[in-house]
Amino acid sequence: MSRVFGMLKGKDPLYIFGVIVLVVLLLGAIIGPTLRTAAVHPSGQPSFTSIYDPVGTPHLDPGGKYILGTDEQGRDVLARLAAGARVSIMVGLIVEAIALSVGILVGVLGVFAPKWISMILMRFTDGMFAFPDILLAVLIIGTIKPRKEWGLLGSLFPVIVALSITAWPSIARLVKGQIATLKDREFVVGAKASGASTFYLVTRHILPQLIGLLLAVSMIDIAGTILAESTLSFLGIGVQPPEPSWGSMINSARQDMSSHPVALVWPCLTLSLTIFALNFVGDGLRSHFDPKSTK
Amino acid sequence: MRLVKAILLRLLFGALSLLFISFVTFVAGEFAPGDPATILGGEKASLATIQQIRHNLGLDMPWPSRYVRFLDHALHGDFGVSYYSTHEPVRDILARTIPLTLKMATEAIILASAIGILFGAIAAIYQRKFADKSILTLSTLGVTTPNFVLVPILVYIFCLRMDRLPITWTNPLVAPEIFYFILPVTILSARPAALITRLTRASMIDTLDQEFIRTAVAKGVPRGRLLIRHALRNAILPVITTIGTSFGFLLTGSFVLERAFLMPGLGSTVIEAIQQIDMPVVQAGVLVTGAMFIFLNLLVDILLPILDPRIRESQV
Repeated sequence: MSRVFGMLKGKDPLYIFGVIVLVVLLLGAIIGPTLRTAAVHPSGQPSFTSIYDPVGTPHLDPGGKYILGTDEQGRDVLARLAAGARVSIMVGLIVEAIALSVGILVGVLGVFAPKWISMILMRFTDGMFAFPDILLAVLIIGTIKPRKEWGLLGSLFPVIVALSITAWPSIARLVKGQIATLKDREFVVGAKASGASTFYLVTRHILPQLIGLLLAVSMIDIAGTILAESTLSFLGIGVQPPEPSWGSMINSARQDMSSHPVALVWPCLTLSLTIFALNFVGDGLRSHFDPKSTK
Repeated sequence: MRLVKAILLRLLFGALSLLFISFVTFVAGEFAPGDPATILGGEKASLATIQQIRHNLGLDMPWPSRYVRFLDHALHGDFGVSYYSTHEPVRDILARTIPLTLKMATEAIILASAIGILFGAIAAIYQRKFADKSILTLSTLGVTTPNFVLVPILVYIFCLRMDRLPITWTNPLVAPEIFYFILPVTILSARPAALITRLTRASMIDTLDQEFIRTAVAKGVPRGRLLIRHALRNAILPVITTIGTSFGFLLTGSFVLERAFLMPGLGSTVIEAIQQIDMPVVQAGVLVTGAMFIFLNLLVDILLPILDPRIRESQV
């Protein structure tokens, strides 16, 4: 534990703030829904129906049993925030994992594959940049229907597909650029001269060099993905109700803002803090792994 | 001659991007749930009617010829009819909704450029001083705060507490139109303003460091003239690219604000169309917005070497 805190010593205060926010968020997403639903459910047992169904009178003020009050349907706001965090983090991580896999693969092939393959791949990547992100996501969501039978993952399916498809090209471009310079460095040329295969070169010598940078970029990308997911949910085409999402919570709280403005504060605050924290941590990681980059 | 070649290459790339976007849009239509002929025919249509509609839409052709047909129609501004309500031609829907979205995006980019260049220049001139630090902090907030978080905050302050601005668009409008645009345009411009501020600052700091500035100082050019005529004029050129790409993103950024303020623009129309699986409207909206985005980037790429001789020289 002291080593973990030692790592934070002497770091930018914004970075430390970001790390703390993310840890709290992660804990909230993992155990929050269980704790909260147990606290508010009449039987005292954790029951996920209280994320979807009313447990009290609508629009209760913050304080008391429901800590942050209840929403327009009488559901516990804190439980829904925690469940929303679960949705956001899940979408963020899955999309980033897919985008990283595709992006790295395309980036590597863009440098090492035969000319005609790399040519097609990189032109295709360029083509993807012709689309403004949200526009492409909107188009994809228009074509894919949620798979109700797959549970939570199924209802998130269109959003995950749409955001994965919009996220990989920038990673592919980054990886390709990095590899193109790395492959002429002495240690790579040396390994190649001593008979290493291309696969060995890429997996053992080149990609490990990129882990730090990719980790930093991932943080900022995840922030972008979470923001995009909330945007789509705010628009009503992302995560579908009754599944909670910060974006749709903001949208529904907005409808009653003249009488109950406080309800808006919580989802807005959580979402903004999350985005700030991911960006701060991403910037901190980048300056840690890439000393040349200056602010 | 090199310039002409570079411009031609850019045009070719622009045309290819358009082709790519149109193909993706077409494929999306192919995968969309529901059969257009059945939807258009209505529930009571006989099999023969549906067959007839299918034939009229060209749905009985193989997909490559359908794509050529789709492209041909799109080039002539024909996107078919909406699946819902009155089967209104999509062309009319576009003509009705695009002006509002364009107006909003244009006003936002003008506002953002003015704010961004002014604050960016101030931050660069007072580098590392209080003004610079506060502008940088503000721009970080501007880049990271989501639009739809700004919406309720500003609506609460200006519409509910102060009661100075209308909350949403009404039909008919009860106040001059400009009042309905103030909040959405301001919010829409927040992010590009922050980006332009940062870029102007960086570019201006670079420029102020160059030798011709030192020469100008040594020759006794007055400070105001030095900063504006010598430094800012040079610093602003790379900023133009960002203004161009930002404008493209503003077109899609207006989706959120049109929805939030119930404005009858292209964005809110496309979102509604998605919820109703009204594919022709979605396709047309995406295609038109994408085309505008490509066109703007093209314009910037062609304009920049004409404005900046340094780029003209370095062009391939």
